[in-house]
Amino acid sequence: MAVNAAPSGYLERPRPSGLADVIEIILDKGIVIDAYVRVSLIGIELITIDARIVIASVDTYLRFAEAVNRLNITDDGSQGLPELMETVTQGGAKSKTKGALEGVKEKLPGGGGDDDDDKGTRRKRTTSSRSRSRSSGDDE
Amino acid sequence: MSEVHVHGVTHAAERAAIEGAGARAVVHGELAAVVGDAAPDTRAADLARRHWKVLEAIAATATVLPVRFGTVMAGDAAVADELLAPDHDALRARLERFEGTVQLTVKGTYDEAALMRSIVEGSPEVARLRERVRTLSEAAGHFERIRLGEIVAGAVEQARQQDAARLLEHLDAHAIDRRIEPATGTDGAVNAAFLIERGRTAAFGRALDAAAEELAGRVELRVIGPLPPYSFASEEAAAWA
Repeated sequence: MAVNAAPSGYLERPRPSGLADVIEIILDKGIVIDAYVRVSLIGIELITIDARIVIASVDTYLRFAEAVNRLNITDDGSQGLPELMETVTQGGAKSKTKGALEGVKEKLPGGGGDDDDDKGTRRKRTTSSRSRSRSSGDDE
Repeated sequence: MSEVHVHGVTHAAERAAIEGAGARAVVHGELAAVVGDAAPDTRAADLARRHWKVLEAIAATATVLPVRFGTVMAGDAAVADELLAPDHDALRARLERFEGTVQLTVKGTYDEAALMRSIVEGSPEVARLRERVRTLSEAAGHFERIRLGEIVAGAVEQARQQDAARLLEHLDAHAIDRRIEPATGTDGAVNAAFLIERGRTAAFGRALDAAAEELAGRVELRVIGPLPPYSFASEEAAAWA
């Protein structure tokens, strides 16, 4: 990335983007090529599901309850929150201390490392040319 | 079997930039599609990284429309005959609309402890429930815990809106357009994509510095980019398709 000229702490020293950022920014974005013409949209369903796990609101509430309860108990305590979504997000957020990529790579199928989680490690073919990738609306 | 990934569409004149980015150009008329040979058994995450890197490299100097990640076509001929030829003028018009612009994505993350502290201090109900939940076993306090979390979630949402507004106050003047996207996770504060004139990224960066100063201790900001207009090019897809 090349931003020349002028001092800005942010633009002068951009941090590398981790996989979490990459996924979040590119997923479901960009020109959609007509389904009759393209061969397939690969792997999207998979990665969409993994990166944007829809968490039931009760679970969300419990996570917030835990966050607020954690306050005085420990400052850097173990999160104990297995949801991938949080891992992805925090992996991206805490890149200072822990490379964003490393933060996510154990959890995201195909994210590197030597995970043997077969479902995520290779591209998945969608043969139905009519089916579009999950619209983002499905994920909320 | 020479299927190709289609990463994006740019001007035919950008062939050098495309090849410099490690991709191939399929040219038709005034347009070039940015393609890469399909590699079976490549991990989805690696494909995502490749898509990102190719487009990021091209976007450093040229305007490129991202094609939705994961798009595969039958081969170079299909890209030329079925994508570039029939939609040549529409694609060129869209490309021109983004000429000279880049996307910068700004993400803010809460200092979770600071945020939670402010919420506890700001709400007697939260403080009371929190004390109560802490005296109960997990099973006994289940519903109180849900109630507590629900209130906290509401307070976090309110904080997000307020902090996003403070951020946008600094940045909006420097952007042509912007999209607010959902902030994720318990500590996500803001996630916004800005469309900016190339020549004004420095001014945007300075505005971001000022915003960061205002939000210091509460929200940590990061900027990602310059990127191709991921969040903006997709908007018209429905109308265009």
